Amino acid sequence: MTLSREVYKELEDIVNPENISEDPAVLDCYRYPLSHTAIHIGPYYRVYTPRGEAVLLPGSAEEVQAIVKLCNKYKIRFKASSTFWSAWGYPCEDNTIQLDMRRMDKILELDEKNMFAVVEPHVIEATLQAEAMKVGLNTHIHGPGASCSCLASATALGGLGPDTAYMGHHNENLLGVEWVMPDGEILRVGSVGSGLGWFCCDGPGPSLKGLVRGMVGTNGAMGVFTKCALKLYPWPGPATLPVEGRPPAYKAVLPDNIKSYTLGFPTWKAWADSCYGIWEAGIGYVAHRQFSMFGRDLKGAMVKILSDPTKTLSDIKELLEDPEIKKMTEDMRRDYQIVLAGMTPRDIEWQEKALDLILEKTGGWKVQGMLEPDRHNWSLLYMLRLGHKNLNLVYGGGYDGCFGLGGTPDFGTSEEPERVEQVTAFKCEWEKKGNIVASGGDAMMGGIGGMGGGGMTMWENFTHFDPHNKASTEGTMEFFDAATDYGVKKGWGPGMEKMNAYARGRDGRSTAKEIRDRILEASAQPEAFRYQRKIKETFNPNDLGDAYYRTLD
Amino acid sequence: MALEDYKADMERCSQCSYCKWIPFDQVKSWRFAKGCPSIAYSNFLSYSARGRFAVALSLLNGQSTYTDRVVDIVYKCVTCGSCDVADKICRYNLEPLEMIHELRFRLVEDGQLLPEHTAVIEHLRKENNMMMKSGAERGDWAKGLDVKHIPGESAEVLFHAGCRFSYDEELRETARTAVTLLRDAGVDVGIMGKEESCCGGRTYDMGYKEDFTRLAENNIKAWNAAGVKTIVTSCADCFHAFLRLYPPLGAKFEVLHTVQFLDRLIKEGKIKFTKTVPLRITYHDPCHLGRQGEPYVPWKGKEKKVKNQIVVYEPRKPRYNGAWGVYEPPRDVLKSIPGLELVEMERIREYAWCCGAGGGAREAYPDFSNWTATERLEEAKSTGAEAIVSACPWCERNLIDAVSAAGDKMKVFDVAELVRQAI
Repeated sequence: MTLSREVYKELEDIVNPENISEDPAVLDCYRYPLSHTAIHIGPYYRVYTPRGEAVLLPGSAEEVQAIVKLCNKYKIRFKASSTFWSAWGYPCEDNTIQLDMRRMDKILELDEKNMFAVVEPHVIEATLQAEAMKVGLNTHIHGPGASCSCLASATALGGLGPDTAYMGHHNENLLGVEWVMPDGEILRVGSVGSGLGWFCCDGPGPSLKGLVRGMVGTNGAMGVFTKCALKLYPWPGPATLPVEGRPPAYKAVLPDNIKSYTLGFPTWKAWADSCYGIWEAGIGYVAHRQFSMFGRDLKGAMVKILSDPTKTLSDIKELLEDPEIKKMTEDMRRDYQIVLAGMTPRDIEWQEKALDLILEKTGGWKVQGMLEPDRHNWSLLYMLRLGHKNLNLVYGGGYDGCFGLGGTPDFGTSEEPERVEQVTAFKCEWEKKGNIVASGGDAMMGGIGGMGGGGMTMWENFTHFDPHNKASTEGTMEFFDAATDYGVKKGWGPGMEKMNAYARGRDGRSTAKEIRDRILEASAQPEAFRYQRKIKETFNPNDLGDAYYRTLD
Repeated sequence: MALEDYKADMERCSQCSYCKWIPFDQVKSWRFAKGCPSIAYSNFLSYSARGRFAVALSLLNGQSTYTDRVVDIVYKCVTCGSCDVADKICRYNLEPLEMIHELRFRLVEDGQLLPEHTAVIEHLRKENNMMMKSGAERGDWAKGLDVKHIPGESAEVLFHAGCRFSYDEELRETARTAVTLLRDAGVDVGIMGKEESCCGGRTYDMGYKEDFTRLAENNIKAWNAAGVKTIVTSCADCFHAFLRLYPPLGAKFEVLHTVQFLDRLIKEGKIKFTKTVPLRITYHDPCHLGRQGEPYVPWKGKEKKVKNQIVVYEPRKPRYNGAWGVYEPPRDVLKSIPGLELVEMERIREYAWCCGAGGGAREAYPDFSNWTATERLEEAKSTGAEAIVSACPWCERNLIDAVSAAGDKMKVFDVAELVRQAI
């Protein structure tokens, strides 16, 4: 359906003609390929999300409100997105307009004393971090990295990342929200709703944080968030990251109170024990199993390629034969990265001692190859800024995670053989078919502190493929289906590869209700979705969102 | 290569949006974090490299057709290559800047033209310059200059003034200065005067590949006939054309930008400073000297896969990502001038913000072009500098115009001009 001229004119009057388009080529830029990344469905070869009816660039909450009211008047769906990192932010159905929040990109306030920032939707992690560092503060950067919207992560999704153990999830950091509700009313949640400032999302004032966020965030399906406040954390480093080097091998030489280590362990049990050790000791600023995303066999070579500007992917086979790289790769077999940041000289001294003691107790080690200065300084910058997160896609352009194990560190290590090794062996068999990158089975990336203060780890087994290649894309899909079956038979349940199957189907559109209901009914807590149904009936009476907001009748 | 050959890139583009920003590691503030002037000005995703991949794919797949908006998307880009650098932080198998050029070539082939470009190109075909001026006046910039004229005389080094320096009366003193500095340092330098022709670089960026090829082949023929071994130019656009675009057509000349030659002469002691230039300056990296000024490496090969699905190239493909552009020579020259204080802007080297003059934007989209230059001016002012210095007449013209439009007091210099002041 094309918008009637009357409706289009009304929308145009709200945002001005230069901020609206229904040109087919423009609209095709707002379609996401389901042959791609981190959508947790598919991949489906050459399938795209539906074309919206128009795309609008609102410039204020008032404009958003006017658009949403108009949508309610004419029963038009709307979907807002800020940085468009994945399929969540794109239309699921016809009769949907796309809101691109790009023009709302200001850091409205950065309160050094009270340690929070108020941001608009298109403020990205890199810019907020850069501004926060100027005043000795830092912001949590969620998993997708520095390119992504802070607000979207905090309001509409889970928002965890490598520094979560120290800086929490973004939803935990949420101190206030301005919400254009699905019916077009504006609600300011928390203390800001009472005119008391942005310091607390749970009051004094309307305390609807839980409702606003739903179970894991609204995924852009319940109104539009136009401002939010985020808690900031201490940063004991320089006001500007001192970056040097040639691209892409940028490095940061930081003072001695900030160090990056790659830790290796002799067994998965030792690996898990070390996680408990660092949480118990309360050390670590960033802790993540990061470079494993390149695969157990390839990560050493990839670190070399990425930290040396003279290298390219074409060097990978040669590097795999390099004895130094082979040794480093083997040392990193059961690994994770940790950044220590001491607030004082005594603090870093203590953290270093605690880490050494943990390594002594577990038989672990600091991977020597990663202490080579260029690699250390590259790794340090990588982990602090997360400015290279789309290396996820470095091999062929496509990746997605499967299995998606999450829980205490033992969840991946306690079975015999260890669950992580079962998954590795299973994936290795599929790598032999040739459709996914042969990376050694274990390409499991994830947080060592999957919640504030530690307490859980999360792993997502990266599977790399070529979205331009039909056999590779479809072969990956077959592997993911097999991975799901494997997980179900093992009693682990479906993995991350099917995380969004309830919302969007293989045609890129909303999943059929009967399939959606079956998936949600089989989940651990279906009642939560029944509760969300009530919320949706109350706040979104015209059902102008999509199925990413999970509901059950 | 044809546009269709980039379909793999279009489908492998992960829509990560890195192309819109400077490399995230280099972000120092909210204010100066953006890298792509096109989307920063026009806002729709379509005006980014990611968007242009999608637009091209949509056209190739027949999902959309040429509209005024599509033409606007394709041409409202300064072809500065910022997207190319940012994309290649994480990717080794995407070529967004090459694809943008191919997309323009296709639009030109299909007659989807901008009247502002057409006027310039039609004039170029008659008068061999991009300045809408008479070809007969091309050598006027060198009147009274004691320098050899090629091909009547022979010289080891040919100084190519380029269209802007030849005709822009406010700027042409820089070209005269460059020639004088080289000559006085003992370099056997000559010029072609009114026999000089446009390099074609800007023609290429506008999408007129055939016109570029004609100009390049004519220049190569003329230089070969004159026995020229080394080409020196003060124009970054010409430099890039000679360095990167001419070799595939058979050119085998040493190509140097004036700043490289001056840096060499200063380090060899052939240029000595006798005066102080008390000025706080900042340096603007021209895109075609900086990130696009990497040495040309011949390559002919094909894609292959290792480890099942890792996309590599056989033989090893040169990687142009701005890592090896011309960054140090202009800085070294400036740092060597007594009294000058060089303060850096936030966006420099391979992640410098463009001046806005490139890709035909100055000709077709003066508001966009001026906005881009004004953004750079704001960044320069944030350093506390009294002057912005560059090494390209197109950058300097756009910055001078932005200063004028803003009623600002920032001075604009070429590197060579400051060298002259110190002698």
